[in-house]
Amino acid sequence: MQQLNPSEISEIIKKRIDNLDVTSQAQNEGTVVSVFDGIVRIHGLADVMYGEMIEFEGGKYGLALNLERDSVGAVVLGDYKSIAEGQTAKCTGRILEVPTGEALLGRVVDALGNPIDGKGPIESNTTAPVERVAPGVISRQGVDQPLETGYKSVDSMVPVGRGQRELIIGDRQTGKSAMAIDAIINQKGTGVKCVYVAIGQKQSSIANVVRKLEEHGAMEHTIIVAAGASDPASMLYLAPYAGCAMGEYFLDQGEDALIVYDDLTKQAWAYRQISLLLKRPPGREAYPGDVFYLHSRLLERACRVNPDYVKNVSGVEGKTGSLTALPIIETQGGDVSAFVPTNVISITDGQIFLETSLFNAGIRPAMNAGISVSRVGGAAQTKIIKKLGGGIRLALAQYRELAAFAQFASDLDDATRAQLEYGQRVTELMKQKQYAPMSTAEMGLSIFAANEGFLDDVEVNKIGDFEAALLSYANSEFADLMAQINVKGDFSKDISAGLKELLEKFKATQAW
Amino acid sequence: MAELTTLARPYAKAAFAEAVEQNALVQWSDMLSIATQFAADDELAQVLVHPSLTAEQQATALTDLCGDKLNQAGKNFLMVLGENKRLTLLPEIVAAFEELKAAQEHAVDVTVASAFELTDAQQETLSQALKNKLQCDVRLTSEVDQTLVGGVIIRAGDLVIDGSVRGKLAKLAEAMDS
Repeated sequence: MQQLNPSEISEIIKKRIDNLDVTSQAQNEGTVVSVFDGIVRIHGLADVMYGEMIEFEGGKYGLALNLERDSVGAVVLGDYKSIAEGQTAKCTGRILEVPTGEALLGRVVDALGNPIDGKGPIESNTTAPVERVAPGVISRQGVDQPLETGYKSVDSMVPVGRGQRELIIGDRQTGKSAMAIDAIINQKGTGVKCVYVAIGQKQSSIANVVRKLEEHGAMEHTIIVAAGASDPASMLYLAPYAGCAMGEYFLDQGEDALIVYDDLTKQAWAYRQISLLLKRPPGREAYPGDVFYLHSRLLERACRVNPDYVKNVSGVEGKTGSLTALPIIETQGGDVSAFVPTNVISITDGQIFLETSLFNAGIRPAMNAGISVSRVGGAAQTKIIKKLGGGIRLALAQYRELAAFAQFASDLDDATRAQLEYGQRVTELMKQKQYAPMSTAEMGLSIFAANEGFLDDVEVNKIGDFEAALLSYANSEFADLMAQINVKGDFSKDISAGLKELLEKFKATQAW
Repeated sequence: MAELTTLARPYAKAAFAEAVEQNALVQWSDMLSIATQFAADDELAQVLVHPSLTAEQQATALTDLCGDKLNQAGKNFLMVLGENKRLTLLPEIVAAFEELKAAQEHAVDVTVASAFELTDAQQETLSQALKNKLQCDVRLTSEVDQTLVGGVIIRAGDLVIDGSVRGKLAKLAEAMDS
């Protein structure tokens, strides 16, 4: 028996017929000359524009990327098996667009904005071109609000501000994605909308991310743009731009958004594939000449814009908008001097280095505090974390130096020994479990405890337990103080005294 | 591999320039089309790519067949093609030549496909309308394609105006699908 689709309601059909424009228009047409590996060569199409969508027979679309004297090179968006030599190809006069808006939140879409989560069509009224020129200097504003990732180590040592581009770089299996996912989870309830762009990942990994975000209630404020490993290279290449267009919608509305590109190495690979097949000359590591521009034009679109810009674009008054980007780059054997890593390092406003050796030593997140930097986040850091976190970076730096030196020295003076012990404790304290982002107050309390010497008599391997017990005690017994810190983020004498009292009471009455 | 049209372009340009100089556009056009028709013949096509024949022999085979339809310039042109092993490019060269000729004459070839035979009056109206739109003389050829159901499809080079019932139905189907 045939089934009735929801789209077969008379009213809907009538509306579609009404909207149909049947006036004949002059169109530019060409003939498909060859099809190979997702690349189509078309003869004719004299009026085609660069980046224009090309319509093939059977409702398939392509993207014109090479305009040559006698032919046009295009990539097919999606499956290219039904396209054959001799078929006609038409210009559409349109640039590729994706749906945008609130309706996408909580959904998983492909690089063209089609839903792939089986939750029905997306009711969005707005669309945006995938490629857009980044806002210019006049429209911009300084980064001065923090975007908290929920990681003690990141928020205290390499703070990220709203509108910043902070690279997460490291070998495979060092917790790059985990860090980005936790940053998304931590945006729950802050009003920051998130876009997670999965490029070239296993479908199982993507499904896992969706499940974890749902478990932690973070899907409501998140859009997932997925171009899996089995999708054609054209989709992998387009996915970051499509995700960026979806994030820019919130920027234009005067809201804050966070976008994670996981990961841009795979996008560069996909672009390399397309470029080589289009017979563009290969350069270093066989990447085409414009691979820097590939990433710079994408990351430049992440920024903070001033109220004037927001008003001009969307009519919303008195609000600044921001799009924070967390691009991820996977290195091979820790080699950051390869082509794509150096490019993206130079484009972004700082980087978080994750190292295999640290990860294997049990230090998770495996961030190397020495070479991880944030070039603009300091101005945006929450006051209390800025005040307290300054000592952490220093302590860790001194500890690393001393630890290397102390390996050879058998007898150490007391000052050195104290410094080493303190460094060990701070290193231990910076460890944090996955899916457990911390609030500002919790972070402040932990760091305060270390700074004020409350950890000195705690055994190093008990630091984790101590912290867990301390935080649960603080959240139940000193909820007012914690809430006050979370709301204001200031560090005053009162708060300092309050934290001191909390710690003293905890140590006097509790066990860990 | 360069595309055939790219390879054919310099030959077409050279032939065209020669034809303009001698003021013999029509004659050149005829010569080229005759040579192309012969070259399209299956047996001759084999001769033209036969590895044991020299370039001169191949070109001579073609010019001999054409006989007195070719003047000396035309024969020389085919010899040059033979020397460069480009005799198989003749169809592309003719197409490019005709394009250049049409551009020179401010004319454009238009094919009109219709579901039913067009009356002379209809053809006249169409060519007048197209003349206004394309801003040049229109050389209309019409053909009948019953699968269009109704209406016409007009093709002028890359430009296609689809006013057929089939095209409208396809649009409707697409709108219902989306």
